[in-house]
Amino acid sequence: MKQYFLVSACLYALLSQNIFAEPTGRIFITNEKSNTVSVINGETLEVESEIAIGVRPRGIGISPDGTEVYVAVSEENLIAIFDPKTLKILRKFKSGSDPETFAVHPNGNIYISNEDDAKATVYNPKTGELIAEIQVGLEPEGVAISPDGSKVIITSESTNMLHVITVPGNTITDNILVGSRPRAAVFTKDSKTAYATAEITGEIVKIDMENAKIIKRVQLEDPKSKPKDIILSKDEKYIYVAGGRSNSVWLMDADTLEVIKGIPVGKRVWGLAITKDGRRVFTTDGVSSTVSVIDTSTNEVIKTIAVGKFPWGVVIDD
Amino acid sequence: MLKKNINKLLIGFYLLVFTSFCVSAETIEIDLAYVGEQENSALLGVQQGLYEANLQGQFLGQNYHLDIISPANALDSDYSNYIAVLTAVDLKTFQKMSEQFPGIAVFNLSLEDDILRTTCLPNALHIIPSSSMKADAVAQWHQKKPGSNVTAQAWHGDFVKFAARDLNKRFKKKQGQTMDDDAWAGWAAVKMTSDSVARENISDAKHMLTHLKTNLSFDGQKGSNMNFRETGQLRQLLILVEDGKIVAEAPVRGVARPPTLDSLGLLNCEK
Repeated sequence: MKQYFLVSACLYALLSQNIFAEPTGRIFITNEKSNTVSVINGETLEVESEIAIGVRPRGIGISPDGTEVYVAVSEENLIAIFDPKTLKILRKFKSGSDPETFAVHPNGNIYISNEDDAKATVYNPKTGELIAEIQVGLEPEGVAISPDGSKVIITSESTNMLHVITVPGNTITDNILVGSRPRAAVFTKDSKTAYATAEITGEIVKIDMENAKIIKRVQLEDPKSKPKDIILSKDEKYIYVAGGRSNSVWLMDADTLEVIKGIPVGKRVWGLAITKDGRRVFTTDGVSSTVSVIDTSTNEVIKTIAVGKFPWGVVIDD
Repeated sequence: MLKKNINKLLIGFYLLVFTSFCVSAETIEIDLAYVGEQENSALLGVQQGLYEANLQGQFLGQNYHLDIISPANALDSDYSNYIAVLTAVDLKTFQKMSEQFPGIAVFNLSLEDDILRTTCLPNALHIIPSSSMKADAVAQWHQKKPGSNVTAQAWHGDFVKFAARDLNKRFKKKQGQTMDDDAWAGWAAVKMTSDSVARENISDAKHMLTHLKTNLSFDGQKGSNMNFRETGQLRQLLILVEDGKIVAEAPVRGVARPPTLDSLGLLNCEK
């Protein structure tokens, strides 16, 4: 009798707590100059709503359990948190100066690059507690975390480096010099390889993360292609690179780093995100104030969605 | 007895190998010299560059030092330990320095004289733009807006494009004043030197000079990768200013012929 009670109590608790939230399928976009987050419906690809979030929202990310979306509100020096279902703002916490980009660690902590302070800071977003401060090079921007949680890459734009931070120590264990103004990085699923972009040299580098060494580097031919965000296709055979003012997303072979095709999108494309099923890539086209939707089976744009002013970051709740 | 001695030898050998590994991992010290007045804003730029070079250097095992030499001592100082010399001196002093110290890069942070460019001094690196570059920039603008009262500058405190905003912001924060042309020149000279040390592992003056003249691709936070002409002039975009406000950049789009940085200034050495 006691056993049945226990089991049903557990089941009830499990079901009512909703430990792993059912994803909404929504795509969230920070609009840097509208001070809002646009909410795009994943089925209809239409804007459902717009959330007033604070002054100059840029980086955006989602908690590992999918219950909270984090937004770096740069001018207010804080992280705002909202519920992806109700779209209500749950809380905000002070994050150190000028947070621009951040990434969410599998353990739930967020790693933020503080552009003005040559620092990266680590926060527990549930409590707002500062966990660590790491001194890095000038103008840190890109943050990428390995899926196994063991390493974090922070790019420092003006010192032209990728700093590799080892977790849980939260100290820098390697520094890799790359091209001019490194912007973003991404890890492969097995955490053993990473790719990064350098804006001024138009460079893509492939790094062996076990030895912290560059194994391949190429320069994009288009001089206007100031690459920013970089993501991997689901099968990791391809990389997609946001090509800034070349107004294209560059599709490249992840192995040879050869450019396969340039996919024309809106103006000044910076942000990229890919759905978990790998079928769609969403871009933020800052100067056109649009989001372009790429179908990865054809690598063509299937829709262009008008959002707020100067869309910057994109995250998908799926 | 013999075995004991061999053991001692082996231990000694291992120690030697071990310490040599330690020695090879130590920090490299790099020395720069600034020759000019202390009040010159070029020095502020140099010091900003030095701070940033050391910020990068700490992650790479490189440590930069700066010695300040007054113009009065320009010609009798010993530059043999420096990797480059950064100068904000008068025309005659610069010409003499260039002649007297041929094996080291002599940066020009302040002189616009065209003659310095056309005489193609082999070790001179002119960061500051020449008079003819400025005149060409103004002339281009006048094709668009004739008669307007503009000047051409290397830098401006309100310039925000190409990460200039970041540089202006951090310079002002650290140095307490707005970055001007000479300060930008000082900063750029140091940064291109430290970038070359970091990327190419160059630690001597001769290789530094060759690398800067022939192989440089520098991000001066005002646009495209910068390099030097055979005249020793740094190719760069210029900022056109009217009434203290930025009106355009040169080369002026749609007007510049050729539509590149080479539409500004003198390209060739006087033969």
